[in-house]
Amino acid sequence: MQDLKLKANENRGLHQLEAGFDLLGWDEVTQGSVLPSFEGDATGIAGLKAEERDYSHHNSYTATVASWRVKKPVFNIDVCIDCQNCWVWCPDSSILSRDKQMLGIDYDHCKGCEVCVEVCPTNPKSLLMFSEQEDLETALSQWPEKKKKEKK
Amino acid sequence: MAVKYDLNEREVWDGNFAASQALRQAQVDVVVAYPITPSTPIVENYGSYVANGYIDGEFVMVESEHAAMSGCIGASASGGRVSTATSSQGFALMAEVLYQASGMRLPIVLNVVNRALASPLNVRGDHADMYLGRDSGWIQMGAFNAQEAYDLALCAFKIAENHDVRLPVMVHQDGFITSHTAQNVYPLTDEAAYNFVGDIVPVDDMLDFSRPVTYGAQTEEDWHFEHKAKQHKALMDSRPIIDEVYAEFEKLTGRKYNRVESYDMEDAEVVIVGLGTTVETARVAAKELREEKGIKAGVVAIRCFRPFPFDQVRDALEGAKAVAVTDRSSPGGAMGAFYNEVAAALYTTESRPLVTNFIYGLGGRDFSIEEAKRIFIEQKAHADAGHITTDIQQFSGLRGPHLGYFQTKRG
Amino acid sequence: MIEVRWHSRAGQGAVSGAKGLGDVVATTGKEVQAFALYGSAKRGAALRAYNRISDEQIFNHAKFMHPDFVLVIDPALAFTDNIEVNEKDETKYIITTHLSKEELIAGIPALAGKEDRVYVVDCIEISLSTIGRSMPNAPMLGAFVKISGMFELDYFLENMKRVLAKFPQKIIDANMEAITRAYNEVK
Repeated sequence: MQDLKLKANENRGLHQLEAGFDLLGWDEVTQGSVLPSFEGDATGIAGLKAEERDYSHHNSYTATVASWRVKKPVFNIDVCIDCQNCWVWCPDSSILSRDKQMLGIDYDHCKGCEVCVEVCPTNPKSLLMFSEQEDLETALSQWPEKKKKEKK
Repeated sequence: MAVKYDLNEREVWDGNFAASQALRQAQVDVVVAYPITPSTPIVENYGSYVANGYIDGEFVMVESEHAAMSGCIGASASGGRVSTATSSQGFALMAEVLYQASGMRLPIVLNVVNRALASPLNVRGDHADMYLGRDSGWIQMGAFNAQEAYDLALCAFKIAENHDVRLPVMVHQDGFITSHTAQNVYPLTDEAAYNFVGDIVPVDDMLDFSRPVTYGAQTEEDWHFEHKAKQHKALMDSRPIIDEVYAEFEKLTGRKYNRVESYDMEDAEVVIVGLGTTVETARVAAKELREEKGIKAGVVAIRCFRPFPFDQVRDALEGAKAVAVTDRSSPGGAMGAFYNEVAAALYTTESRPLVTNFIYGLGGRDFSIEEAKRIFIEQKAHADAGHITTDIQQFSGLRGPHLGYFQTKRG
Repeated sequence: MIEVRWHSRAGQGAVSGAKGLGDVVATTGKEVQAFALYGSAKRGAALRAYNRISDEQIFNHAKFMHPDFVLVIDPALAFTDNIEVNEKDETKYIITTHLSKEELIAGIPALAGKEDRVYVVDCIEISLSTIGRSMPNAPMLGAFVKISGMFELDYFLENMKRVLAKFPQKIIDANMEAITRAYNEVK
C-alpha cells in the first residue's frame, strides 16, 4: 500500500473541505475574516518543513480534498530523474520533494488533475494516472516499458 | 525624529490645511494617494511634511484612487497608521475598495472633501460622494467648518484604532465651502495632539512574523453572512466609544462633539435637519427668525452619519411639530436618502412630526440664510395647519418651475 | 460683521489677498472667513473672493452677501462684472484703475451718484513698479487698510511680514512698499 501520509504532520488533511470545521455563529468568527495560519508562536517558521509546522485549522493544510479525485497520479521512483518539472507545475503544491529529490504525492491535496503526468519528460513517464482504488504495488507492476523511437 | 513645526495658538486655515495638520500631528506612517480636487492639498501637504522632515512617514503616489485605497489597505494590514484623502469621482472609483477596508477591519482614516458626482462634471461641494459611502461599513463623521475638520480627523484615528472598534473612519467636509474657506482654527500643540491620539497598537498585522495571517479570505454562503453581521455589530458597538473619544477631546479642548448635534432645540417647533456647512448657516437663520418673527426654530445636525444615530435622532426631534430634512445629493428617483433615514426614526415615535424633504445645494449651489428662513417658514405653515401643506419632496434653490413630488395623506 | 467681496481674475492673487487679510485680521482677536468662488478656473478667468470679519464665530457659510466693501483688483472687471450686485447704501468700492475717479464713474453707470463711496487706486501700476509684475492684491490691501480704517498701517505691515515669511526678503520688501504706496495713493 502506498504511503498516503507521506511527509505529513498529524494535522494534514484532518477534515473534509466541504464540511469545514463546525459552522460558527457571527459572534465566533474571526475579526475581519483574518485567518492565522499557525497555532502558537510561528517565529522562524519559514525555515521549517511543512511536516514540522503547526498549521492552524484555518489553513488548507489541515483540510483534505482527496475525495475530489477520480483518478490519482502514481509515482515511480525507478524512472524519475528528479527534474522537478511536476513540482513546478502542480497547481496544488501536492508534489512532495526534499533537497530536489522527488518523494511522492500529497494525497490529501492532490485533486487528480494530471498536470504532473502531462509535464513528466521521462520515458516511460515517472507519474501515471491510475484509478483511485488501485493500490501502489499493482500500479507499479503495470508500469509500461520504455517506448522505442519510431523510425521515420 | 520629526522636525518641529511652528504653530500659533490661533491660525487661519482652510479645511484642507487643517486636515493635513491633523495628519502631521498624528504622525501618520503612510499616505497612499491619487490627488483630486478639492481634496488635493490634504495629501499634497502631507507629502511636503514628509519631504521636509516634519513627519517620519511615507507618501506613495499611485495611478488611481482604486490603487490608493488598495495601498492604504496593505499599509494598514501591515500595522501602520494610515490615511488618505479623496473626493467625488475619486471616491466613486475607490468605492469597491472601501468595502474591502471595512470588511478587513482596518483602521484607515479617509478625509473626504465632499464634491458632486458627474455627469455633468462639477468640482464643487455636494454630498453625492458621501452618500455613496453610506453602506460601505465605514464610520462617517461630518465636519461643519475647518476647525472641525481638524478636530474630527484627530478623533478619527483614536476611534478607528481602538481595539473595540477597529473600523475605518471617514471625516467629511464640504468641498470648497469648508475645504477652501480659511477660518480661525485653534490647533492643539503637537505634543497634546499626539498624546490624545496615542500610538497605534496593531492587530493581526502582517509584519508580525510570529503570527502570519491571511487577509482577504473568500467566504461563500456558509460564512459570509456571519462575517457581515459581526461587522455591522462592530459599527453599532462603536457608538459609545465614539462618545468616549468625543468626551476625552472635550476635556482637552473644551470643544464638545455629539453624534447628533442640537441647536436651539429646547422649545423648537420647526426644525431643519442637515449635514455639513448647511447646519451652521441654518443656525444663523434659526436665531434670526426667533428674533424677527418669534418662530421657534431649531437645527438638528448629524455629526455621525454612520453608524446612524437612529435613537438620538428620534430623541432630538420627537418634540418638534414640523421637520425639514435636507438632502444635498440628487435623489435619483426616490426621496432623499437622508430624509428616509430620519423619517424612519420619527415613524417610531408617539408624536410623529410632519417631515418634508428638501433637495438643495447640488453642485455647490449656494445655501443662504434667506433660503433656510424660507424653509423654516414653510415648516411653520405645516405646523399651524397640522398637516403638510406642500409637496413632501421639493427642490430648493432651483431655477425654473417648481419641482416637487408627493402629497400627504394625513390631515 | 464686516463683509468684503473681491473681484479679480485668476492669477491676480485675490484668493491669497483675502486669506492674507484674514490672517492679519485674526491677529486682532477677531474671527475671519476667507473664501473664493472658483473651481477649474484658468488664469485670467473672472473670479470672486470673499471675507467675513466678526467679533464672534462665523457660522454663515453662504457665498451670498451684502458686502460692506467691494474690492476690484482688475481694471476691466470694473466695467464687465456686476460689481454692484447685492450692494448696500453704504457699500464702499475700491477700484484699481489708471483713470481718475470722475472718468471711471462716467464709464460705469452703476456707480453714478456714488462718488462719496468710490475710491480709486492703480494697483496694477503700483505692483509693476514695486513687485515687478502685475500682482494687484498687495496694493489693494494697502488701499483697504486706509479706506476701512481697520488698522494702523504699521500694524498691518508688521503682520503681513509674518504672513509672507516663507518668501525671500526681496519679495517681502517689495510687497511692503506696494502696500504703503497704495495706502498713500488711494483716493
